Amino acid sequence: MAAKPGSAPTTYSPNLGQKTRPPIFKDNDLDWVRPDGRGFHQCRPAFFRTGAVNSASGSAYAELGNTKVIVSVFGPRESKKAMMYSDTGRLNCNVSYTTFGTPVRGQGSDHKEFSSMLHKALEGAIMLESFPKTTVDVFALVLESGGSDLPVVISCASLALADAGIMMYDLVAAVSVACLGKNLVIDPILEEESYQDGSLMLTCMPSRYEVTQLTFTGEWPTPDINEAMQLCLDACNKLGKVMRTCLKEAASASQE
Amino acid sequence: MEKSDEMVTPGEVLGRATELKAGKGAYVASQNNTIYASLTGFRRIQPPPPDSPDQRPTVEVTGHKAHGPVPEPGSVVIARVTKVMARTASADIMCVGPKSVREKFTGIIRQQDVRATEMDKVDMHSSFHPGDIVRAVVVSFIFSLGDARAYYLSTAKNELGVVSAESSAVLPSLFNFGPKHRRATMVPISWTEMQCPLTGQIQQRKVAKVVS
Repeated sequence: MAAKPGSAPTTYSPNLGQKTRPPIFKDNDLDWVRPDGRGFHQCRPAFFRTGAVNSASGSAYAELGNTKVIVSVFGPRESKKAMMYSDTGRLNCNVSYTTFGTPVRGQGSDHKEFSSMLHKALEGAIMLESFPKTTVDVFALVLESGGSDLPVVISCASLALADAGIMMYDLVAAVSVACLGKNLVIDPILEEESYQDGSLMLTCMPSRYEVTQLTFTGEWPTPDINEAMQLCLDACNKLGKVMRTCLKEAASASQE
Repeated sequence: MEKSDEMVTPGEVLGRATELKAGKGAYVASQNNTIYASLTGFRRIQPPPPDSPDQRPTVEVTGHKAHGPVPEPGSVVIARVTKVMARTASADIMCVGPKSVREKFTGIIRQQDVRATEMDKVDMHSSFHPGDIVRAVVVSFIFSLGDARAYYLSTAKNELGVVSAESSAVLPSLFNFGPKHRRATMVPISWTEMQCPLTGQIQQRKVAKVVS
């Protein structure tokens, strides 16, 4: 709207008084109702398929609610970059977002650290000495970001590695939990992640009961940390079973 | 041999290390002495060889999809020569043993690895030409496995060397149309010479002795 001639110009200035965000939940007994109607400790149904990309050595597609991820694995192949001779293999990870994958177009570049986090989650599970002097490249593409992106990427990447025939100690399953005030909400969606006070991502090898990566962010009341980790471990176990069924179905389908 | 054809995935328990040995596609976890699978495939149990002291059967996972082969020290590879220089020749490794690779690896044949005798008198251009198919072995001495990007290959044995080469002979064409050069697969005469069947021209190569 145009300002009337002669009036003071309209300006805006930030409110310096409010430094902290007001708490979302003012009452203790106000409960957060999940937008998709799930219980607090209920994960989204997982859909996995291997063999999505024909030209790659191995690939997998994962869909959990609105989060859709496709991962391709190439290798073991020669490393293009000039690197020191190593008697173990190398793992190279890359996570990228499509421009249409996030609610705001082109904002996926906020997650540049996902590539190195994926690397740390996977390197403990792969037998690097089975392919000395060569490199395995893992490329993850997030087609739609619907919350809990990195855990879905990690689980999908480990399925793709198994599909490529790379020798691993175990599959890797990852689950994240968000802390919303007093509530612990598992497998948060994008809206819940924007309201969370803290988040925990746990990546583990379900059959061997070993954790490969643990990431905490935000504020966590101490007793909740334990409960959240137990939740994650239990969910990873169940996710691991789902992933194994998917691998077995794909393998027996290709046998016929 | 096929005692159980159960499908397993990486991380599944295959048995105890006290009763079974871990074969291909399986590994032993030292903490709890159990054998886990490391590939997706079928679980097969091989009976032990009768004369070995360890009488445990071997459990292995025969993968439905194994990753492409990787050159290992001591493995025989088939490579195509890409560049020939004064003291080295570069080759693209195409097959490792009987299997072809998914993506090519680079190999280097050094002057001292071409043949076993008179290594300092080797002329690279009389041993290889670009485009030749050679059979070589990946050098096994650990320090010479190669530099960061290429494997060192050796043809210093009778059965290693050029197995197939095309002659570079140029024949005049009788007609105005059609190819002007006719290339033919050369025939080996001795371990240093190959002959083109079309022109009779003899060219020098380090020829592999084919065991028939």
